[in-house]
Amino acid sequence: MKKAVWEQPGSLAEAFWKNGIADIPIYDMHGHMGSHNAIYFARCEAPEMVAHLRRIGVRRLVFSHHYSLMGSFRNQRVHAITARFPDILRMYVSISPHQTDFIAEDLEQFDSMTPLAIGFKFLPDYHKVKVTDPRYEPVLNFASERRLPILVHTWGGSPYDGPDVMLEAATRYPQVTFFMAHSFSGDLPGAKRVADACPNVYFELTSLPGQHTIIERLCADIGSHRLLFGTDMPWFDEYQHVGGILSADISEDDKHNILYRNVEKLLGKDW
Amino acid sequence: MKDFAFFDAQCAIGAPILGNARGGETAAGLLAEMDRNGVDKALVAHANTEAAGAIFANENLLELIRADDVDNRLTGVWTILPAQCGELPPPDEFFAQMAANRVGALNLFPVAHRWQACRLTIGRLMDAAAERRIPVFLGQRIMDGGWRGVFDFMRTFPAATVIINGVSLWGPDRNIRPLLENFPGCHVELSEYWVPEGIADLARLYGAERLLYGSGYPRFGHGSTMLSIRHSGLPLEQVRLIASQNLERLLAQAQLV
Repeated sequence: MKKAVWEQPGSLAEAFWKNGIADIPIYDMHGHMGSHNAIYFARCEAPEMVAHLRRIGVRRLVFSHHYSLMGSFRNQRVHAITARFPDILRMYVSISPHQTDFIAEDLEQFDSMTPLAIGFKFLPDYHKVKVTDPRYEPVLNFASERRLPILVHTWGGSPYDGPDVMLEAATRYPQVTFFMAHSFSGDLPGAKRVADACPNVYFELTSLPGQHTIIERLCADIGSHRLLFGTDMPWFDEYQHVGGILSADISEDDKHNILYRNVEKLLGKDW
Repeated sequence: MKDFAFFDAQCAIGAPILGNARGGETAAGLLAEMDRNGVDKALVAHANTEAAGAIFANENLLELIRADDVDNRLTGVWTILPAQCGELPPPDEFFAQMAANRVGALNLFPVAHRWQACRLTIGRLMDAAAERRIPVFLGQRIMDGGWRGVFDFMRTFPAATVIINGVSLWGPDRNIRPLLENFPGCHVELSEYWVPEGIADLARLYGAERLLYGSGYPRFGHGSTMLSIRHSGLPLEQVRLIASQNLERLLAQAQLV
């Protein structure tokens, strides 16, 4: 019988299977922190999250705090948390379009949060405001001037962050690097349409690794050079998501691209 | 790799009514994916049971398995119905047919098949299944009221040997922990349990013997949960229990005849 994916000599899968870690960095580009109304998290604070990340060799987790996205927890407090683990944590400045005074403050203070803050996080489906709404404009203009990334929650069929809306936003702001969180989950043709039209768009994979044939189809239709690894940590286990990439029927190069190469091309190795 | 045998508790084959079988129309497709990932055996249900019904699904599942499973790596799961309409034989005869056809576990779809999952409908069957320790799959997606339906079922049949499946990707601990705490015959398959370090937490709280490897094929692939179990942080003997030995034990202890 042919050897299983975990037994391929010299492969990433073999290394992770044997050792639980491999000689590569992992960049997890979609994390959160803090408790959540609808789910029990045993490990949602920085120390225990970091312990989990270190076990599998995550070099950077870029996160937005649940309390900032859903509540009134200010981004400066998130920065203070991030600063406790500067060797592994980075943050997105969370944006709520309903808090315009917070947005003004965050943009004013953004420089004080760098280099730990690398960009912004939008959650349009939850805030029920389209990405093209004027309330997001100050942030989009700011990110455009500085060529900063924005991680946007995207979902197939959404009127707030679905393919049509994101196509319009990414076309209007070509200097912004958009990370499409969840890659428009459930709408692969929509994702391809955005990918074909907008070179400034990358597709983040949270909740997709492990879904049978999805990673293969994304690699075939969009290309592994446009895909970014992410887990929604503390939602999803790093081993589960890495396992979904490693066991996908894609090339070894594809796996390297997804887990770290694409991020290093975008942001370098020292950030 | 082979020091870890994997026995998949959560697979389905057959053509779904809405298509998108992702290669799982036949047992050959499933077996090829099992080989690619290093999975030894699987417990298999029919992928179209909800739409096509128990009678067709139970028969067609056997046809699909017999067509491709030359090495007997697949064990079937049959679907139950209320006793009163006589669609299935009485329990003893039904269980004997299961044994004769390499079927090792049961499932039910009361919402899709429009019946009430209670003592009035399946009391005799479930009492017999519990006494014979035949595993029954139970999930929040297929029960009236979701998790409430699962809780009601377990209160009605507290001695049943149950495998909770399809727990949902939105961390289900608030629902599965009370079940594991209160019903010793309750087990959880892990295809949708993606909680960081959660497998080790559940094993420490309720025992590794309560957890089962499941892929969720064809919706999910085999490999992701394999790696999360392999590196759950548990001792290797507990990893082996979850990977295959618990399901082997559950099937072996079932007294079908």
